[in-house]
Amino acid sequence: MLLVFQIIFVLFTFFAISSVIKKKKQGLLGPKGTIFWIIFWIAVAIAVAWPESTAKIAKIFEIGRGVDFVFYIAIATLFYLIFKLHIKVETIARDVTKVVRDKAIKETLNNK
Amino acid sequence: MFIAIVPAYNEEKHIGFVVRNLFCHVDNVVVVDDSSTDNTSKIAKEAGAVVIRHEINRGQGASLETGHQYARSVGATHVIHFDGDGQFDVMDIKPALEKMKNENIDVILGSRFLGKESNIPFFKKKILFPIGRIINKIFAKIKITDVHNGFRIINQNALNKIIITHDGMAHATEILAQIKHHNLKYIEYPVQVEYRKYGQGLGGGVKIVKDLFFSKFI
Repeated sequence: MLLVFQIIFVLFTFFAISSVIKKKKQGLLGPKGTIFWIIFWIAVAIAVAWPESTAKIAKIFEIGRGVDFVFYIAIATLFYLIFKLHIKVETIARDVTKVVRDKAIKETLNNK
Repeated sequence: MFIAIVPAYNEEKHIGFVVRNLFCHVDNVVVVDDSSTDNTSKIAKEAGAVVIRHEINRGQGASLETGHQYARSVGATHVIHFDGDGQFDVMDIKPALEKMKNENIDVILGSRFLGKESNIPFFKKKILFPIGRIINKIFAKIKITDVHNGFRIINQNALNKIIITHDGMAHATEILAQIKHHNLKYIEYPVQVEYRKYGQGLGGGVKIVKDLFFSKFI
């Protein structure tokens, strides 16, 4: 039988998946992002509803406990997302510079 | 046409003096005001410089590339990078340019470590610069004595090839990497540096390494 917190968590993952689909429909998420986040939240729902499932996967990777496996995956995912975010920010910063530069030069040449 | 590119941010105290001195050695001076909050633009204009003003602060690398883009558009034959705080000596320009022309060199890189006396802070000289040289060897694959010297003279051939994409201070290493990549002929030339500000500290150095690392993935 599921505990109260498990029910709440699983409901939350349903909410998260619906939010992902909504963002996809609004054009805010690409196909790759949509698939990634849906798989991610389904995995979270399975891990919460059947905690022993993580122990089984952990055993395959020869990691002692299921919770350790989840912890390692979470850390790796977070680092990857931060990395991706950083690259995105840098790319946007370069685009901003390009716009600022073009405008500044245009104004200078026009005022000559 | 020989153009001086002067990136400047809140340099109202020095910019007028720097621009006036530069006019004795170059055909035109372009001050790239990186969104200063003081009177840098006004004073530079009064001194006779062409002023290009960034609406938002984008960093020294971005300012230099803005100057490059302008120089390309007006057909400059040579450009010099010259700091706006007056730490360089304009008397180094003429002999460096002569050497460049005589020896058919694409890029002259100023160096504080080739004979001329400069009042370099101890921590920079003994700790930061040696680390900088190692970082530079890794990312730019060029071994030089003065990695982050802002004094550079670039000819038209190099100007058309060197495109600075780093907005911040990592541009110094990026320029060296592009010199290597495009197989441009370069030499280091002794210049004098009068320190008025401390400039890049340890935190700045860490940021440069971070920028260089992440740029590999952009």
